[in-house]
Amino acid sequence: MDASSSQPEFDYLFKLLLIGDSGVGKSSLLLSFTSDTFEDLSPTIGVDFKVKHVTMGGKKLKLAIWDTAGQERFRTLTSSYYRGAQGIIMVYDVTRRETFTNLSDIWGKEIDLYSTNQDCIKMLVGNKVDKESERVVTKKEGIDFAREYGCLFIECSAKTRVNVEQCFEELVLKILETPSLLAEGATGGKKNIFKQKPPEPDASTSGCC
Amino acid sequence: MSPSMLSPTQRYAAGALFGMALHQAQIHQTHPLGSTAEDEDPTADRISSGSSSDSVAEDPLLWVHDSSGLLRPIFRFLEIDKNAWTGLEETAASSPATHHIGAFLRLLSEESADTSSEMKDMELALSKSVDVMAQSTEATPPDFERKMEKHREYEQECRQKFSTDIQSKSEVENMQLEIPEGPSCNMISIEQTTNQSGSYIHEKPAEEVMMLSYQRKVTVLYELLSACLADLPEDKKKSKKRRRGYDARHRLALRLLTTWFDINWTKMEAIEIMVACSAMAIVKEEQSKEEETQSPKSSWAKWKRGGIIGAAALTGGTLLAITGGLAAPAIAAGLTALAPTLGTLIPVIGASGFAAAASAAGTVAGSVAVAASFGAAGAGLTGSKMARRTGSVDEFEFKAIGENHNQGRLAVEILVSGFVFSEEDFIEPWEGRHDNLERYALQWESKNLIAVSTAIQDWLTSRVAMELMTRGAMMTVLSTLFAALAWPAALLSVTDLIDSKWAIAVNRSDKAGKLLAEVLLKGLQGQRPVTLVGFSLGARVIFKCLQVLAETEHSAGIVERVVLLGAPIGIKDESWEAARKMVAGRFVNAYSTNDWMLGVAFRASLLTQGLAGIQPINVPGIENVNVTELVEGHSSYLWATQQILEQLELDAYYPVFNSTHVRP
Repeated sequence: MDASSSQPEFDYLFKLLLIGDSGVGKSSLLLSFTSDTFEDLSPTIGVDFKVKHVTMGGKKLKLAIWDTAGQERFRTLTSSYYRGAQGIIMVYDVTRRETFTNLSDIWGKEIDLYSTNQDCIKMLVGNKVDKESERVVTKKEGIDFAREYGCLFIECSAKTRVNVEQCFEELVLKILETPSLLAEGATGGKKNIFKQKPPEPDASTSGCC
Repeated sequence: MSPSMLSPTQRYAAGALFGMALHQAQIHQTHPLGSTAEDEDPTADRISSGSSSDSVAEDPLLWVHDSSGLLRPIFRFLEIDKNAWTGLEETAASSPATHHIGAFLRLLSEESADTSSEMKDMELALSKSVDVMAQSTEATPPDFERKMEKHREYEQECRQKFSTDIQSKSEVENMQLEIPEGPSCNMISIEQTTNQSGSYIHEKPAEEVMMLSYQRKVTVLYELLSACLADLPEDKKKSKKRRRGYDARHRLALRLLTTWFDINWTKMEAIEIMVACSAMAIVKEEQSKEEETQSPKSSWAKWKRGGIIGAAALTGGTLLAITGGLAAPAIAAGLTALAPTLGTLIPVIGASGFAAAASAAGTVAGSVAVAASFGAAGAGLTGSKMARRTGSVDEFEFKAIGENHNQGRLAVEILVSGFVFSEEDFIEPWEGRHDNLERYALQWESKNLIAVSTAIQDWLTSRVAMELMTRGAMMTVLSTLFAALAWPAALLSVTDLIDSKWAIAVNRSDKAGKLLAEVLLKGLQGQRPVTLVGFSLGARVIFKCLQVLAETEHSAGIVERVVLLGAPIGIKDESWEAARKMVAGRFVNAYSTNDWMLGVAFRASLLTQGLAGIQPINVPGIENVNVTELVEGHSSYLWATQQILEQLELDAYYPVFNSTHVRP
């Protein structure tokens, strides 16, 4: 699995983050994207992490996707994961209105508070469109919110895999269009702290022993 | 009985913090805290991009990687959901994890609904008993003063014997050697930073730590330590990778955690002792149960018959592994010795509470096994007279020092003298120091060492040397050595005498190093983390030992700390990097720039290659400490070592060398 890891096998590395209330389907969405499967998952504990290699816009990309727990008890934790993310995916459940309103009430504020990346691309995702009959949040509402908040928008279903690929693709393409984010994600070679020599102590630190 | 004193969320946070500490500790192995511009530099890019170079799964060299077997057993013990493991490993390695620390500390401090008052009571009881234990270990032993007195006498005696050194010192005091300092004086910044104790060197997120109660911190450390020692039966295919016992890297991670928590290390040592005692207590309990219920051919009978406990199968599919060639009677002895201490604890916490605390998280389903890897290394180390096994080393023997034997200490210290004039010089230099380690002195090749040391000393007092010294020529000599110039003829002729003896002694020290490595690999120290300290040829023994370990698989978790003083080891042609990797924590090279005796004895071609005992080593992660002020000559190490060790504050996680002297 690490046979080729000494070679940079990707052009860019992007950090993406999934946030949203508990049970909206963040982990399902991620699982659907990374391994084409759908199953009933238990609530995420803390954070989960998955890697997916994709080729988009002619570039080989490595996506490091952090999936955070939506449960209240882990709320303090997610704050530290916003740091350095190039893309943030806000997920709500189209059949549960409070998951939608919480995005502006809670999650949006969290992003403003903790994200260190000014240009970071945000995306609003309405999940569970397969349950059309139970829908309570209309597409129009989603579009309006996205426009107001200045983010991308898509509706998808992790279960039927409708729009799952597109969701990540749109986000990543947008990141690729943003020079500042691109610069961050560029990794010429592997930066491995254990293989590189530490910087030589500069002159100011030596000279008294 | 509640299996753990922490809620699942808190255990999750504890596991995460431990993972981060483990990863940071690995980074500090080659990028010591406070040494260079540190932390910021190598990792700055990674902060800004926020993306660690790769996922953990792709880098098997990481301590947090599954293959090193350091982190997952902890998660398993803490009963963290398997699904959360990769996320935790990634978080731990997303360096610098420092900005996650705060968040996880906060998670740890929160009172969730599942924290029952019973748990709180347990926490309180536990932390109280830890305090009691810490007090009892901190109390200075009654004969401490007498010991210090004895040490002073020893110092006086030595000084008189080797007065030439003092003379030479005074004569040439102002002739400090011009040694190519290079960029490697990485101690200076450290000395400065430790003075402003706190701020950045502790790198603790103070704000969140305040939110965490003292009791909670103690509980977390307690559970983590239990997790480190526990030997859970797991999927067989993986288990062989993990060494049993207390891994030095685990201890190091705990050490870093205590600095994050702002908890005194002595508290952690108290916790260690408590866990050790409780584990012993459990062992004993299980034994007696076994005896009652089982057939005569029970494992206990086997223990008795063999006299040595390898592994004993216990009830409920539990495997209790007592390593370290532990003799059965020693357990009993250990327990008796502990009885008074335990006695003071039990009223505080309650007997059942104590047992509950002891088995902590793992007792669910009664399937925990503690790798009780301590207690009777005395049998293991002092009982191992290796001499006859290898013809080339005539003498190799461990002597117990101090009172900490069979007291449930979870760490061992091995001290190696290398410049000796009598057998007592193997032990005397180490007597009197007060710490919480189980200490052993290694007595090796006394005949050869005494011969070479005496030859050197005799030569020093000879006329030629005296004359050279008074003219300050020695300093010139050493300087020319560095310049790789010719030796004065007068010097060459006399040193022939030393050379052959020195060559033998060097050769023996290399072999003794191999033996020491064998001893450690066999786990005769009881699978406990080892601190190695040695001066002169003793330092060479330790270095050789590390080299041998470096060639052996799965040996990175044995040695916790190393201090080499006046080491006759070349710099350029030796594999310092490999040796460094074998030491989880601090690796100190103490050198004296005017130790020309070492230079003379060692000379050969090697001086052009650099010599560890008289100059700094420019290898990342090695702390170079200039002890020129404390060391008047090579023989000074006999009595100055103790003070140097004190100034090094080995129990500090980060590099320290407190100078008590006013430095020029």
